[in-house]
Amino acid sequence: MSSIDRRDFLKLVGAGGVGAGAGFMLRESIKHPTQHLIPYPIPPEEFSPGIATWYNTVCSMCSAGCGISVRTREGRAKKIEGNPAHPVSQGRLCARGQAGLHTLYNPDRLTGPLLRVGEGESGELMPVTWDEGLSQLAGRLNTLRDDGQGNRICFLSEGVRGHLAELFELFVDQLGSSRLLHYDFAHPQTLYAAINRLFGETHLPYYDLRNTRFLLSFGADYLGSWISPVHHGLGFGHSRQGRDEIRGRFVQIEPRMSLSGAAADEWIAANPGTEGILALGLGNHIVSQGGYQGADREEWAASLAAYSVESVATQTGVPAATIARLAETFADTQPSLAIGGGAAGNYSNGVDTLVAVNALNYLVGNLGREGGLVFNPEPIVGRGANASQATYSSMLDLARDARQGEIDVLILNQTNPVFTLPGAADFREALAQIPLIVSLSSFMDETTSMADLILPSHTYLESWGDDFPEPGVGFSAGAISQPVVSPLYDTRATGDIILGLARELSLTDALPWSDMEEYLQEGWRGIYARGSTEEEGFEAFWTDVLKAGVWGETTRRVLPASVDVSVIESVGVEAPEFSGSSDTYPFIFHPYLSNTLNDGRDANLPWMQEVPDPLTSVVYGSWVELNPTTASEMGLAEGDVVEVESPHGKVAAPVYVYPAIMPNVIAMPIGQGHDEYGRYANGRGVNPIQILSPEMEPETGGLAWAATRVRLTPTGQRIDLVKTGGVSRDLGREIIQTTESGTGSGETASLHSIPITVIPT
Amino acid sequence: MAVSIVPTLRILKPAALIVGVAFVGLIFGYWANAAFTTGSYNTLYPGPGPEQPINFSHRIHAGDYQIECLYCHTEARRSTSAGVPAVSKCAGCHQLVVPERPQIRMVLEYWENQEPIPWVKVHDLPDFVYFSHKRHVLAGVDCQTCHGPVETMDVVSRMAPNQMGQCLTCHREHQVEFGLDCLTCHK
Repeated sequence: MSSIDRRDFLKLVGAGGVGAGAGFMLRESIKHPTQHLIPYPIPPEEFSPGIATWYNTVCSMCSAGCGISVRTREGRAKKIEGNPAHPVSQGRLCARGQAGLHTLYNPDRLTGPLLRVGEGESGELMPVTWDEGLSQLAGRLNTLRDDGQGNRICFLSEGVRGHLAELFELFVDQLGSSRLLHYDFAHPQTLYAAINRLFGETHLPYYDLRNTRFLLSFGADYLGSWISPVHHGLGFGHSRQGRDEIRGRFVQIEPRMSLSGAAADEWIAANPGTEGILALGLGNHIVSQGGYQGADREEWAASLAAYSVESVATQTGVPAATIARLAETFADTQPSLAIGGGAAGNYSNGVDTLVAVNALNYLVGNLGREGGLVFNPEPIVGRGANASQATYSSMLDLARDARQGEIDVLILNQTNPVFTLPGAADFREALAQIPLIVSLSSFMDETTSMADLILPSHTYLESWGDDFPEPGVGFSAGAISQPVVSPLYDTRATGDIILGLARELSLTDALPWSDMEEYLQEGWRGIYARGSTEEEGFEAFWTDVLKAGVWGETTRRVLPASVDVSVIESVGVEAPEFSGSSDTYPFIFHPYLSNTLNDGRDANLPWMQEVPDPLTSVVYGSWVELNPTTASEMGLAEGDVVEVESPHGKVAAPVYVYPAIMPNVIAMPIGQGHDEYGRYANGRGVNPIQILSPEMEPETGGLAWAATRVRLTPTGQRIDLVKTGGVSRDLGREIIQTTESGTGSGETASLHSIPITVIPT
Repeated sequence: MAVSIVPTLRILKPAALIVGVAFVGLIFGYWANAAFTTGSYNTLYPGPGPEQPINFSHRIHAGDYQIECLYCHTEARRSTSAGVPAVSKCAGCHQLVVPERPQIRMVLEYWENQEPIPWVKVHDLPDFVYFSHKRHVLAGVDCQTCHGPVETMDVVSRMAPNQMGQCLTCHREHQVEFGLDCLTCHK
């Protein structure tokens, strides 16, 4: 054998080395990774590893104020359920509440204070310390306050209640400012106004769905998005199936079938905006048939005279026989209940409509009784949810003042008006005129992205707070919101940020508390003192409330005796006005709140993006709902992309052919269309709020968001809608069994009174 | 016509040698890797225990000094996991007991820095198995049944397979109620 020369030797050494390395790595790669046992330096007192600990607190995913129980293990929140002891949620919880975990663990959360370095929006947001951020803001606030220019500071928050709302008021007052606004797109301000006009009440009443026998809902999607869906769902279930010999009946009146419409016994489509006229038609029939015998009978008859069943039938498009039948059933089935909201409260005649609807409750004697309308006591803390709410017109005022350079500092708290105000308001451009925008939001969003300083708040699962549900449940109830996990990031509770600012500003005389917990405890001492006869002392009371997750008093309210004569005389509903002429814009636009994304604030939660819409089964995007007749007239099919154009803008989305919508109405869900709201929300669908006409409800100044006309232009593009539903037809499979409702012959064939049947497309 | 493969082999010979040497290297590397074992459960039974950040001896604590298992693994009687003692528990005794020894000084250093000691797990079950220490401890099963004679070990290693067969044999022997149901352990 020839001897190995130097080159061969090097080759062999190389081969051997590579082989050995490969062998080593091979074994390394198939190894199970090393698992560690990580002990605590000091064992926690509150939990044991491996054993779940449940904390009772309050849900903040919408304004209903459900009590929740959060399951934690090893200091991490794992699951959220309803708190069985809480009167609003009674152990149940909706999908949005469940998805609260995604708020906590969201990878797009702001993890610490940020300061914009550089000029204007081109500047970059750089991390700063809390001390730096707070002193920067405090410096500006201090200068303005000392100069008596406090009113150049505006505090714009989402709707908050309880002690945090009081703290905001105290703080803004100390700054010498009167600009404290809460802004929520879906705040039912027209309902507040209607209840106030009719009954002189400043707070919403409790609608007792649970014990009613006949519910007439004018546009209120009480099972999906209206006010307190979990509680309404419980009431609905009990009314339907919880009583031995009574099965509650539900009638839904709306131009586009909502989740509540689909669950109702009868769905009636009145012409959009004529819901109030329909209600008065019912009232007229009740009074003229002798169904109302009150002392003010003559006044009611006079004021309802213009709404004879026949004329109402013409205006609303609902057959006279149906109106008469509904009126008689409503008066004869006791207790009955009429509720109104949603789109019905947001036409140009919103308040009048809701006055008309709630007047029905008065006419058949539903006030203050089981299964009717129960008045809530005054809120225990604060002035109630409606006190600081900004209407559309007050937001316009704010924008105007900003443009005129009258606002120097804007502090934002978890509200996103750039997204939830129509494009016509041009709020983004107005904000750009404000020299210093500070955001306390937990997430980057369309409005926070304009901020110069971001002081991110904890999520609700990390902070102290309390909530007193509004509308309540007919008696005073409240709950303390406690942190269930340690803060995940370098964020602070909103209350602590305010108190920190107060210290920097030397406002400790007015706001002496060291943190939110201490402030809360002091507030709850007042509640403890409300005739608590227990002698165990405040500490024990506090612990008890925390453990139970709820506190309440069972005393109910005494009722207002009657409706004032002048109010009765003012009852009347004008025909609705829509922006845009019916020639150029043939369709009435019906935006509706998504059951999962709310007004868009939950679009950054993956679970909520994944939940199919309950009626169309569409996931992830936006869509335009069209009646099959309209679709076939226009030659459109599911997936065809159309432009929806109002006098104030246009958006493009695919068509979904939906049998349960009036032919002259097109509907779109609100919630999608974000571009600055994190990885899960960005770039999905479009935001229908942007094209709404800036039409206002004249009495409240609220945005009449259902009063826009639009036209449709096919774009020629087609995309596949992502949806879980297959074929929307029954194909003889008898999946959905239908019966004729006992409504008399002929009538059911009309679009205006379709019993619950799925019409084949 | 006869075709000879010999000329081809002659050309391949140096290449074959290289491949051969590389293969021997591969096996050597694979074998050598065992010396770097970091504590994976599927390579440990039967075999030596992994090296721990501190040379803690169960023989001294549980054997010589007869300290109860549950004194340190407190959660075993009330939780699914037995729990590894908090650093405060180690420091609690050792601030007084032999604090000068080098290994103990390391423990106290963790304590002073308020850092956890990254113990390497010896006994691990896959995630699809539900196992509760509480049930077994309360039923009077000795820790040694599954963990071996820990009180004799300086370095803890696995002395039992801790696989399904072992579970079922024991459940059968003791006629455990629902002890053979799939859902008892796989839920």
